[in-house]
Amino acid sequence: MDATIDHRAVAGIGLRARHVDELLDRRPVVPWVEVHAENYMANAAALASLQEIRRSYPLALHGVGLSLGSAGPLDLRHLERLARLVESIEPCVVSEHLSWSGSGGVYLNHLLPLPYTPGTLRVVVEHIEQVQERLGRRILVENPSSYLRFRHSSMPEAEFLGELVRHTGCGLLCDVNNVYVSAWNIGLDAEAYLAGLPAEAVGEIHLAGHAVNDVDGVSLLIDDHGSPVSPAVWRLYRQALDRFGPVPTLVEWDTDIPALDILLAEAHKADSVFTEARREMGHALAR
Amino acid sequence: MLSLGETQDLFREALLGESAPMLVDLVESDGLDPRARLAVYRHHVFITLTATLEAAFPVVRQLVDRRFFAYVADAFIRQHPPASPCLDEYGSVFPKFLGAFEACERLPYLPDVARLEWAIHVAAQAPDVAPLDPALLGSVAPAEMAQLRFIPRAGLAYLVSAWPVDSIWRAHQDESEPMPDLGAGSAYLEIGPSGEGVFLRALEPAVLTFRSALFSGMTLGEAIEEAARKDPDLDFAGLIRGFLDDNLFSSFSIVTEEGT
Repeated sequence: MDATIDHRAVAGIGLRARHVDELLDRRPVVPWVEVHAENYMANAAALASLQEIRRSYPLALHGVGLSLGSAGPLDLRHLERLARLVESIEPCVVSEHLSWSGSGGVYLNHLLPLPYTPGTLRVVVEHIEQVQERLGRRILVENPSSYLRFRHSSMPEAEFLGELVRHTGCGLLCDVNNVYVSAWNIGLDAEAYLAGLPAEAVGEIHLAGHAVNDVDGVSLLIDDHGSPVSPAVWRLYRQALDRFGPVPTLVEWDTDIPALDILLAEAHKADSVFTEARREMGHALAR
Repeated sequence: MLSLGETQDLFREALLGESAPMLVDLVESDGLDPRARLAVYRHHVFITLTATLEAAFPVVRQLVDRRFFAYVADAFIRQHPPASPCLDEYGSVFPKFLGAFEACERLPYLPDVARLEWAIHVAAQAPDVAPLDPALLGSVAPAEMAQLRFIPRAGLAYLVSAWPVDSIWRAHQDESEPMPDLGAGSAYLEIGPSGEGVFLRALEPAVLTFRSALFSGMTLGEAIEEAARKDPDLDFAGLIRGFLDDNLFSSFSIVTEEGT
């Protein structure tokens, strides 16, 4: 049931509601698309369009609401809705986030940060196992963008992600923009972060733009997906490809969403970085 | 050390209210006041949820100004944060909230405009189901007709307002439509999915009584009695024919003595 992604052209686009009709009308060449699962759970009309898209394109489901890091139990109603969507769409990839958003029956509509402790690890491992068991498939878990870190975290985030892979067999979605944004905001070394991830587990890469905000005279990078990918993130992407190999890549654009062609052009740019990386890797292997 | 659950409780309270000192103590400053770091998260939650409400209630948003809407939304989000990650479902109690919100008192029609917008929002998301085939009713014995109970199609709603909320709504879809006289009288409205869009229909009061009685689960016989109380001179055959022609229901059952 896993539709595979054509690795010769790798970069897909995050598909948002405003581009759905145009994509169906024009059928542009794009190797795959990804949508937020939550937008198709309660909206039957949107789901009908998604099923039409699925007939023409490999489709990945990116969840934002499972709240794998909640201390309490998973929202089983939500997990069931995700399972039904997965059954109806047969996505090529299902991914979620290393974060939490639900607490005390409230959904906070943000990917909130976790303290990286052995206790948190137990919670997230249990939740990933529960999700993978219900869906009957492996999921990818994405690194979050961070604006703070907890004093009581006892292990680096990359190591924490590696432990999730080791315990659950899940894969990783490496959001290169998130690595860059978090590194800037909380003082990590982005290259060391990439080096700390288990390369063989990385099944997808995300790219997106970020904003630069001045907060009390300190600049914070805000992961708003509202602009082109920054030059520094393109450079880090190239390093990620060198480290992880040819991994399907997705360009996300969620605020100030541009014309579809601009988003597609950004994906083509990722393709050219990817092609160049492959050529150089090929040369290195031939030597 | 606080447990994960305690940390998340504090974090939730900090996002929806004020940052607790206990939470601030858990956060590394890394060259910036931890409260400013928490504020980045709070800002995102409120901006995105306000945008969700604006998208579901675009006419309410135009009837007040952007700043006032953000002010009302802020209060609403604190009192009624989402319970589910499917934000298509967020905002169902916003109309009621507006009705109780003191600063909205000068716009008494605002809650009903919001009710209309929520009905349109729900109808737009409804599945495109096959309507009831009227030929199937041919198999129902005449003696059982009064016992028919219809299952409404998803996304159907009825709204009665003391204000001309349909005209107010239309005046905000098309600039050439003037804002109606607010004293123009009550609106009796039917809202539902239609092809790829939504229909909004004004009904005669007795027709609304009849259709909303069926919608609420009354049998055909009971719904006719309800409508006859409003208008004994109704053309009941026409009423039933019009109801079937408008494809409002997806199936039916026959209620027996035992009540099934």
